[in-house]
Amino acid sequence: MQKEEINIKTLENNKRMSTQELLQLITSKINEGYTNFRIEGCGQHNIGGSSWAKDRNEELTFKITNPGQRAGAMALAGTNIYIEGSAPADVGWLNSGAKIVVNGDCGDTAGHCAAGGKIYISGRVGTRSGALMKHDPKFEIPELWVLKNTGSFGFEFMGGGIAVICGYDCDDINSVLGHRSCVGMVGGTIYVRGKIQDIADCVDVQILNDDDINFLNNGIKIFLNEINKNELYNSLTIWSEWKKIVPLPKDKKDKNISVKEFRQTKWVEGGIFGDFIQDDYKVYNLAATDEGRLRIPKWNSDNCVDCKICFNNCPQNAIETENKLYSSNNTKCIGCGICEAVCPNHCWNMNSTRKEIS
Amino acid sequence: MATISINQLHKDDLPWIIEYDETKCIQCGKCSASCSFNAIQPVVEKRRKPSQGLQKPTFEKILVIKQNVSFEHHCVGCGMCSRVCPNGAIKAVRNPNDRYSVRYRAAKADSLKKGGRSNLNTEGRTLDKIKIGRISQMTDPSLDAARHQFELRTAFGRILSADKLSLVNNNGRMETSIQLPPNRWIYPIIMGDMSIGAISWRMWEAMAIATAYLNEVMGIPVRMCTGEGGIPSRLLKSKYVKYMILQIASGHFGWNRIIQAMPDMIEDPAGILIKIGQGAKPGDGGLLMASKVAKYVQEIRGVPKADLLSPPTHQGLYSIEESVQKMFLSMNAAFNFKVPVAIKVAASVTSVSVYNNLLRDPYNIVGGFFIDGLAAGTGAAHEISLNHTGHPITSKLRDCYLAAVHQGRQGEIPLFAGGGLGQTGSFAADAFKLICLGANGVFTGRLLLEIAGCIGNDTGKCNACNTGLCPAGLATQDTCLTKRLDIDVAAQNIVNYFLATDMELKKLMGPVGNSTLPIGRSDALITVDKHVANRLDIQYVC
Repeated sequence: MQKEEINIKTLENNKRMSTQELLQLITSKINEGYTNFRIEGCGQHNIGGSSWAKDRNEELTFKITNPGQRAGAMALAGTNIYIEGSAPADVGWLNSGAKIVVNGDCGDTAGHCAAGGKIYISGRVGTRSGALMKHDPKFEIPELWVLKNTGSFGFEFMGGGIAVICGYDCDDINSVLGHRSCVGMVGGTIYVRGKIQDIADCVDVQILNDDDINFLNNGIKIFLNEINKNELYNSLTIWSEWKKIVPLPKDKKDKNISVKEFRQTKWVEGGIFGDFIQDDYKVYNLAATDEGRLRIPKWNSDNCVDCKICFNNCPQNAIETENKLYSSNNTKCIGCGICEAVCPNHCWNMNSTRKEIS
Repeated sequence: MATISINQLHKDDLPWIIEYDETKCIQCGKCSASCSFNAIQPVVEKRRKPSQGLQKPTFEKILVIKQNVSFEHHCVGCGMCSRVCPNGAIKAVRNPNDRYSVRYRAAKADSLKKGGRSNLNTEGRTLDKIKIGRISQMTDPSLDAARHQFELRTAFGRILSADKLSLVNNNGRMETSIQLPPNRWIYPIIMGDMSIGAISWRMWEAMAIATAYLNEVMGIPVRMCTGEGGIPSRLLKSKYVKYMILQIASGHFGWNRIIQAMPDMIEDPAGILIKIGQGAKPGDGGLLMASKVAKYVQEIRGVPKADLLSPPTHQGLYSIEESVQKMFLSMNAAFNFKVPVAIKVAASVTSVSVYNNLLRDPYNIVGGFFIDGLAAGTGAAHEISLNHTGHPITSKLRDCYLAAVHQGRQGEIPLFAGGGLGQTGSFAADAFKLICLGANGVFTGRLLLEIAGCIGNDTGKCNACNTGLCPAGLATQDTCLTKRLDIDVAAQNIVNYFLATDMELKKLMGPVGNSTLPIGRSDALITVDKHVANRLDIQYVC
């Protein structure tokens, strides 16, 4: 049988209950079967976190005012947390399934590392919010909904999940995601309405497709209902004002032209040495033929007895012996010197191409 | 057959011996065709078949590859033969009994010349004894190297101290009432400093393309020093000259064409570097062997085909003060005081005196002090200079930095350090450590050749840049050899190496918690060598 709501005041007669005292009190009450808590907080950390009802079929509900950091940290599915007014840093840290509603603003790192559940925030959130959000496919996709905007460096290293930043009441703000958000983002989706600036280059900013609109349309209704702002529905559902941010696939990250293309299209035409040297930029093999040879054989007819030893030993079949006039075919000869070596009568001489040039 | 005398050069005198296995050889001729040093050639050898009874012994002729034994054509161990051999039948092996340097001097009455770098390696590397040991953890957070934004740029040019800025209040705006000396914010690694002539036109152009690419495509403001061998007019008149630091050394080679191009230049160069000396052969001038003075080199330098020697000093400069007054002033004037002018000297026991003198700089025209350590590379040098003169970079850089600190004037004349950086594999680590010791930036030349394909090393492999027969097409002007170099691959490799280095510099900046260059942050460095710790004033650990 469900027990009545229990009301915990953490400040009485100017004496503040410590975080440890409060959390242990909550645990003992849960073990007694209580599931509904109203907590008048005084900055205690981790309220509503890592708890589950004695009867696992029941849900836990926390209505909190004036929480400390990490409200709803490590909270499990079946936990409902409602925060009246604003909350400091790390709301929903490592959220693992809870519904967390904040009727106000949040400090830094809201939704940090959330891997489950839904976080609804009716105001603004600070820096590094949504950072390291993840999605374990065995569980529901985590969601982070923010009515207004985020501070800088949001969604760093985000690996999964969905964040929705509605950009409400942000007309004077240059970027509803602050500066340099999404650095290192490798997974997940961010929907954002309004101006964004200075976003990391590892992500792609896209327009919405029908599935996106469908998701947002349903989600916004639920979100506005949770934060009691149904009247904003029309102003938030002009889809042309929305964008979607997803990580760039790895193969699209390298968009730069190659150095070769740079030389061919941007560099000084004809090369900077074009006044002096006509260079076709061809590359010679280490044992090249033709003009790539370091040495060229020259035949001298005086002693030749037409024995064909050179002809038979040339590894490139480069020697031609027409009418007893020997020559080396430039397109085949690599200048190895075997003809010179095998000729018994010293008819072939290897000449350095270098001497001719210089 | 000629008699063999003991004084005749023998292959056992040479630094490298060719190991050849005739049973694997298919006589394709590729090894001899590829050998730019002409150190091997095919020959026909006789083999004796012993008598099998009553008939006389017979002989057969076989074709083999033989090592040439001469001072002019000897193996340098470059290994092109084993690269082209389809069967692994041939390779060069180091000769532990090498007597080449003795034999050469005894035969030629001439000093031995070499390229590359010193192969003596007696000093060891101080930089390898230093580690980055001050890691930001719970005291202050480390920065994520891959994802945070780092500011790696450094100042190149004269920086005035605040009290010399003559700041005035102009309707609520703070302004300086004097003309500030020119200054460029550049990447802390300056590449190049190798002349056209010392290296092939393809290699030089590859460096220039890589520099332009890094700037224009990657947004990394790397600057290249031209070396002193002239600069192609096409480059001078292009927009890319703004990435070039023009060099003037004692030979003043190529300056005629630079001056002629000035009216047509659409951009100012990045800077000017006055080269007084270089680390590989301090106190000696430039040396370009005639074999590398190709026709275009003759044109661009305005010289005939001959061994080109630069004097060891700038003629007309007799003191540090005169250097400042004359050389710095002229070079500042050349581009109307809009381009920073720096000076490069070989590291020396006297470097601090020079730097202290420069720091006085009453005209605000000294834009940088480059110190080149003894492990630097060179296209050609007398071996005696290469192996036996010079000063390691690390302590000298540190001395200069601390001298400036002593006067409270560090950073006013930026310090750049170079010479053998990246020798043991990681350029970024060397650069980072020198920056922590006080360098505003570093410079590198030889490493670029290694990135582009140089097969030489610190233990005597190849190092034949002086011969003009570079088998990789880098330190040669021979068309056949130069065209072995794929300009696009060379440039791409340089770009890639810079991108890797950029990443690695951040990998070191992150842990020490600096998002800007940690110039002078010697607290980040530690060493297990007490002498190094004492000398560099860094923390000794064990």
